[in-house]
Amino acid sequence: MTHTQFNRRTALALGLGAVASGLTAPRAFAQTQVNLQLSWLHSVQFAGSYIAQDRGFWEQSGLEVALLQGGPNAPVEPPVVSGTALVGISAADYTAAAVAEGAPFKIVAVAMQKNPFVVTSLPANPVNAPADLIGKRIGMALANTPVLEALCKLNGVDMAGIDIVPTQYSAQPLLAGDVDCLLSWETDLPVAMAVQGIDSRTMLMADHGYAVHSQTYIATEDNLANRRAEIVGLIAGEVAGWEAYRQDTDAAAALTVARFPDAGLDLETQKLQAARQVPLMFSDLTDASGFGWWTDETVQANIETLALLGRDVTPDLWDRSILEEVHGT
Amino acid sequence: MFKAAPLCVLLGLAVFFLLWELSARALDGAFILVGPVEVLRYLFENQTLMARALWVTLQNAALGFVYGNLAAVLLALIAILAPRSERVVSGLALLMFCLPLVATGPILRVLFGPGQGPQITLSALAVYYTTYVPLLVGLRAAPATWFDLVRSYGRQRWSELVHVRTMACLPYFFAGLQIAAPAAFLGAMVGEFTGAERGMGVLTVRAIRALDVDASWAIATLAAGVSIAAYVGIGWVARLCTSAPPPVILASTAASAGRAGGWPDRVLTPVLIAAIALVVWWAAMTVFDLNGFFAKRPWDVWAALVLDADAAETRAALTTALAETARYAVPGYLAGLAAGVGLAAVIVLLPGAALVAMPICIALRSIPIVTTAPLGVLLLGRGSAGTITLVAVMVFFPTLVACLQGMRQAPGQIVDVLRSYAASPLARLVHVQLPTMLPAFFAAARMSVPAAVLAVTVVEWLATGRGIGALMALSASLSDYNMLWSAVVCVAVLSVMLYGIVSVIEGWVLSVFAPEQATR
Repeated sequence: MTHTQFNRRTALALGLGAVASGLTAPRAFAQTQVNLQLSWLHSVQFAGSYIAQDRGFWEQSGLEVALLQGGPNAPVEPPVVSGTALVGISAADYTAAAVAEGAPFKIVAVAMQKNPFVVTSLPANPVNAPADLIGKRIGMALANTPVLEALCKLNGVDMAGIDIVPTQYSAQPLLAGDVDCLLSWETDLPVAMAVQGIDSRTMLMADHGYAVHSQTYIATEDNLANRRAEIVGLIAGEVAGWEAYRQDTDAAAALTVARFPDAGLDLETQKLQAARQVPLMFSDLTDASGFGWWTDETVQANIETLALLGRDVTPDLWDRSILEEVHGT
Repeated sequence: MFKAAPLCVLLGLAVFFLLWELSARALDGAFILVGPVEVLRYLFENQTLMARALWVTLQNAALGFVYGNLAAVLLALIAILAPRSERVVSGLALLMFCLPLVATGPILRVLFGPGQGPQITLSALAVYYTTYVPLLVGLRAAPATWFDLVRSYGRQRWSELVHVRTMACLPYFFAGLQIAAPAAFLGAMVGEFTGAERGMGVLTVRAIRALDVDASWAIATLAAGVSIAAYVGIGWVARLCTSAPPPVILASTAASAGRAGGWPDRVLTPVLIAAIALVVWWAAMTVFDLNGFFAKRPWDVWAALVLDADAAETRAALTTALAETARYAVPGYLAGLAAGVGLAAVIVLLPGAALVAMPICIALRSIPIVTTAPLGVLLLGRGSAGTITLVAVMVFFPTLVACLQGMRQAPGQIVDVLRSYAASPLARLVHVQLPTMLPAFFAAARMSVPAAVLAVTVVEWLATGRGIGALMALSASLSDYNMLWSAVVCVAVLSVMLYGIVSVIEGWVLSVFAPEQATR
């Protein structure tokens, strides 16, 4: 039965393909097929890309962009290194680690100017500032201990006063009272709690000196040299997509839910998440210079925080030439 | 007894569902457990979504099941028709089975690109070994007289295979398929973690993050339902195919003419296996032109573990993580074996118990560990109890299935002898059924070694964040692929060594109780 189904589908796909190619044949230029590797499962986290695809921002540059979903066992670096994906979405700390292991990556745009890490707590026992962490039990993956260490060093807080409880990435231990607070993202566990009707407090680590660019676009040096026009086209579409996202986050959430009916997405959750990631992605800096931008000062702050995380990087890790071309500066 | 059976089943299931619902009510508001009523409501409200996800995962699992079991049959045929190759084939098959998912997943994704490739492959990899091992046992589970008969007609190995071994192996083969069904489903779900667009695994990840306990348990229930259906279906086919009563296998004195071979053989075989594995490792990466950044070659691992300046640190990190993992894996493994044999014995003594216990056991095993890992740790706490229990559950089910099937191989004639002396069921168990069960038990004990390792690394990766499973996941996220591959090699080699220890014990025991297994 499976086999018949497969054959029928294949035949259907081939048929549609033939029709489609017949329609597109008269076009002036062929579309170049490129892949963008996302860092996690489809959600409004990548809605700017869906808008770019939906509104044909990439087609205008002659690109046909496929969005490759990430997942718990889908690191971004291998497909980018091996050329399966032209561009991948990573974060400055992970990129720095990969570069230290010999990967020839450059950061070409920064979607999240502010790092999304927060300490999530309940209003009855809130953590509003790093000093409040003293005497508290924080639930987190042990792997993230350097993140907490960096926050403590930046704010003169003694790590010894904090009790780290290794937990899985879920809000449940906080609700069960196993811990007083959680290390999470601004845009996932607190949103899940809100949708379940549970109020929470979040302390954004970026507001307390933790400067690590997140949701950064990475490409290999080789592709930056040889497939430059395609990377420029891809990032231009992303920039346009995210600008449109900012205009109407509810519409972006609706588009995301409609585009991925099999992803099990909840519209309310997506709307909330979409609204909460705006302050992380847009700032006075991006208003002045455009989406994805950074300055020498923000890079310097990143280098200092990354040093606390044990990563020695130079400003060379960032390459702004693609954005300069996109924004025409 | 059998007339009462349906009533028994209904009663057992009713009690089970009632307990489930009551526990869920008791834990209401804790975001841990959801009762059957809520699960049904969720499934009803999201029926199209769940149906589509189930269909995708089911197709991949079915293809993986077919490919994996075909591979198992081929490997077993090679091992039987060319007995000299058996140790090498088994060793390589085992080594492959011991490769951790955290390492193979991303590589398969790069190899296959977008699509269903990694899901099907991981599903096939999850089943081939648990079919291969019982199949090999079954292919030998025939009385020496039958082989003598074939030889007296001047026929050779091929006729032995067609006329004797094929029939003898069927019960063992079907038991292997029954164990494979939930494993195939689990493999397909874990395969979806490598960036699949849709399926039950994708929904699981999202449900856990979103605190959507209803969805988590609905997925778990559905997965369990599918696995139970597959188990029952395969059992039904098995009964259609295997009508002959189990034969009496008498120990023949000629039989003890050595399985093990001499000392040179014992040294040469592992060396040969290691050499082939290293060549295959290097060749596969070269043929597929995998980038050295993430696809480390044998010499990279050698450098990371021995030559590099920080080699001592790498070794220390690995040793610490492995020691931590062993603290959970070893007790879990032993508890799982004990529970499997114990329950099999109870079921043989009180056949009615099977009707209630089996569905619950299948459900326990077939709720995919990717769903149960976080939930199990939530229910049982973050201490060692949670992890040990989850490992035990993974080991317990194959052991139970294998032992039950093994005990059913007790020849009717011998049971009749005991009956005619009015021996108690307990005496029958001790003197007939337990000894007949031993080959199947040891097959289960051997193949449970990698299963226990798989379970403990998945729990560490998804839930507790400790030990070698967490170290591998962390290394992958930080692009420390030297560490990841070193961990892969250590896990694989250690699994094979543990397997070897179980084999040695098996050799001692079976040379006394089932010498037909020890010969060719």
